[in-house]
Amino acid sequence: MVGQQKYYINGIGIISPQRTFGHAEFLTHINVYDKNVLNAVTPDFKAFINPVQLRRLSRMLRIGMTASIMCLRDARIQAPDGIITATGYGFLEETEKFLREMLDRGEKQLTPTFFMQGTYNALAGLIALSTKCTGYNNTYVSKGFAFENALDDALMQLEEKPDQNILVGSYDEAAAVQHVSGLREKHYKSEHINSLDLFKTQTRGSLQGEGSAFFDISGSETTSTWCRIQDLEIVYAPTHDIKLASLLSAFLEKNNITPRDVDVWVNGVSGDVLNDSLLSSLKNSLLQQVPEVRFKHLSGEYCTASSFALWLGASILKKQMVPEAVAFGSPFPEHLNTVLIVNQYMNKNYSFILLKK
Amino acid sequence: MSQRVFITGYGIITSIGTNRTENLKSLIDGTSGFGELEVLDTVHRKSLPSCEIKHDDRQLRDLAGLKKNETGFTRTSLLGLIALQEAIRSAGLSKEEVNTSGLLSATTTGGIREFEKYFYDLLDLQQQGSFIQFSDTANPGEHGERIADHAGIGNYIGTISTACSSSANAIMQGARLIRHRKLDRVICGGAEALSKFTINGFNSLMIVDPGHCRPFDVSRAGLNLGEGAAYLVLESEEVVARDGKTALGELKGYGNANDAFHQTASSPEGTGAIRAMQLALESGKITPDAVDYINAHGTATENNDLSEGMGIQTLFHERVPLFSSTKPFTGHTLAAAGSIEAVFSLLAMENQMVWPNLNFNNRMPELSISPVRKLLVNTPLKNVLSNSFGFGGNTSSLLLASA
Repeated sequence: MVGQQKYYINGIGIISPQRTFGHAEFLTHINVYDKNVLNAVTPDFKAFINPVQLRRLSRMLRIGMTASIMCLRDARIQAPDGIITATGYGFLEETEKFLREMLDRGEKQLTPTFFMQGTYNALAGLIALSTKCTGYNNTYVSKGFAFENALDDALMQLEEKPDQNILVGSYDEAAAVQHVSGLREKHYKSEHINSLDLFKTQTRGSLQGEGSAFFDISGSETTSTWCRIQDLEIVYAPTHDIKLASLLSAFLEKNNITPRDVDVWVNGVSGDVLNDSLLSSLKNSLLQQVPEVRFKHLSGEYCTASSFALWLGASILKKQMVPEAVAFGSPFPEHLNTVLIVNQYMNKNYSFILLKK
Repeated sequence: MSQRVFITGYGIITSIGTNRTENLKSLIDGTSGFGELEVLDTVHRKSLPSCEIKHDDRQLRDLAGLKKNETGFTRTSLLGLIALQEAIRSAGLSKEEVNTSGLLSATTTGGIREFEKYFYDLLDLQQQGSFIQFSDTANPGEHGERIADHAGIGNYIGTISTACSSSANAIMQGARLIRHRKLDRVICGGAEALSKFTINGFNSLMIVDPGHCRPFDVSRAGLNLGEGAAYLVLESEEVVARDGKTALGELKGYGNANDAFHQTASSPEGTGAIRAMQLALESGKITPDAVDYINAHGTATENNDLSEGMGIQTLFHERVPLFSSTKPFTGHTLAAAGSIEAVFSLLAMENQMVWPNLNFNNRMPELSISPVRKLLVNTPLKNVLSNSFGFGGNTSSLLLASA
C-alpha cells in the first residue's frame, strides 16, 4: 500500500479469553488457564441482542454478533458499508452437532438449524441482515491467513472508495473436536501447563484459544480513531529464517522505516518449540533492539489470533502504554508511535502488520 | 487501477467431464451428469440422485498423477488439483510463473467428506491408522494449501467461503489483487466434493429434488447436488502484453452485494441479484443492452429462480438477453459453481454457442421471460454475465468478455 490512501481503525469490539470487552481496563486483571483451552469471557449478551434472536443463535454466533455490535457502537455508526469476516474452522460445534445426528440417526430427521448455522459465512450474513447492509460481503477461511486476507480486502475496498466504513472481523471457537484433531496434528500440547508458562515450555504444540474481534476500518480519521494501519503483507511458508528476515526488511523499507523506528513489535510466537523457530531467530537478529510484546499466553492459539494482536497493537497506540502481562524484555519508549505485528500460524502462515499512531 | 485482467488458461472437472474437452462435448450433446450415487456411500444413494463424478478417489489420484507417498488428499483436494493442473497447462505457465502466482480457492465443506467418514475414529486418540492423514480436514483452508504446495504456488494464498457464491468471489478477489498491482497473476476457482454432510444438509432444508432439476420451470422442485472444480488463470494486461501471451477471454467486471433479506432465502424481488449484476456492469463499464448471455445461478429451487428471474427482468426490462442455467448438467456444485460456470461462459464465447437450460418446459406465472431451451450455435457472444448467489444473502456476478 504505497498509495496515498490512509486507513484508520475507528472502532473495535473484541471478546477473548481475557476481559477485553468494554475497553475501560487494558489487561489489568489476567485470566489464567490450566487445561490447555482458553475459552472466551463473554459479556451479558442481552445488552446487545434481543431475546428472541438470542435464543436462536449458537454460542459462537452470539459472540461474533456481539463483538460486531460492540465495534459499531465504539465507532458510533449504525451500519457499515461492507462486511468481511475471517475464520479458521468456522462454527465447528454446529457442524459437529449436525454430523453426530447424521451418523447416529442414519441420515434421517436432521435439524436444519445446525446445518444453516454451520456455514462459514453465517455470521457475515447475519450482520448484514441485522444492519440491513446490502453492500460488499465476503468471508475468508484460509487458516492462518484468513484474517489477513480479510484485512487486505478491506484496505482494497477503501482504496477503491475511501468514504466507507468496512467492518472486518474474526471468529474462531475452541471446539472440542478440533482439540482432538489438533492433538493428532501436534497443534496443541499434550501435557497440561499453566497458560502463563506457555513460553517456558520446550515442547511441540500450543494452547487452544478462541475469540472474535471486529474492527471498523475507514478512509478518514474520527474522534473514535484508535490508530492507522500503515501496511500489511503475508508470507507463505518461508523456507528459512534468512528469507523471512529479508522479506521483513523489504517490507519496512517499502514503508520508509528501519527496525530502529519500531517502538514495539508484537511477536506471534505460540510456545511451540518447532513452529516458533523463525520468529525466535528474528528476535535475535533483525528485531534484536526492538522492545517486544507477546500475546498467545493470553489469547491461546487459533487461526485468526492475529486479530487479537491487532487489538493489542491498536490499544498500545491509543492508550500509550504496554501492559505488564504482555511485556517481554527491554524497556519501552515513552512515546509509542509505531507497532509492528509479526505473526505465524503453524510455521506456514506468516504476516506483517504495521500500525501507526 | 485501470489495469485490465485477462484469462489466459483454465481447467475443469465435473460430472460431465474430467477436462475442458469432455465438458464441452457434454454441453454440446446435452449429456447430463445426473444419476444414482455410486461412489459416495450414503443411504440416499438411490433416493437423492446427484451429479457425481464416477471416478473413485484412487482413479482421481491417478488423474492427478499423485505418487503413493503423497497422502492427505481429500476428494475436494483431488478435484481441485486436477482442475488446477489443467489450468496451469492451458496457460502454459513456467515453474517460476506458477511459483510467483497467487491462489484463491473456494470451498464450502473442504474435506468434510473424509472427516465424516472417519469421524469416530479420529475422535478416539487411541485409534491409529491411515485415516489420520485426514485429521485436519475439517479445516476449509486445508485444501487450498495442499494443492498450492503440490503445484508449487508460493506467493499469496487465500480461501473464500461464501456458500454458493464462493468461487465467483475468489475470481473477483483475484482480479482485484491484479488491479491493485499486488500480484501479476492469480489462479482462482473452487473445489467441492459431494459428501453426506451436504446432501443431508440440503435435504434437511427440503430443497433437494429427487428428480432431475428443472431451473426456471413452473414445476421446479429443488436442486440436485453436484461435485467438481474449476480454476481460471488471471493475468494482468501488462504481463500479457509483455510476454506475448494469448488471452482466452477477459474478466471485465464483477459485483458483490448482500441481499440482507433472510439467512437462507433470497428476496422475492431479487434485490441482491440486481445489485450484484448492476455492479458487474458498472465496473465493466457497459450498459445492460451490451450483455449477450447470462449464465444464471438457476438452482431450480422455488426461491432462487423466482428471485433471480425477477432480478433479471427488472434490470433488463424489455431487452432481456439470452439466459440459461447449466445446473441440470452438473448439479449445484456449491462453492465450485461460480468458477465452473465461468468456464462454461468462456466455452460459450469461444464456440459461439449458448448452452441449453435442460428440462425447461413451462414458464412460472410470475415471470414473462424464458431461458434458452435448445443448444444455439453460430451465436456470437461478446459479453456474458455469470451469476452466483448463496446462503447468508451473498450475491455475486461476474462479467466475462470474449478475447
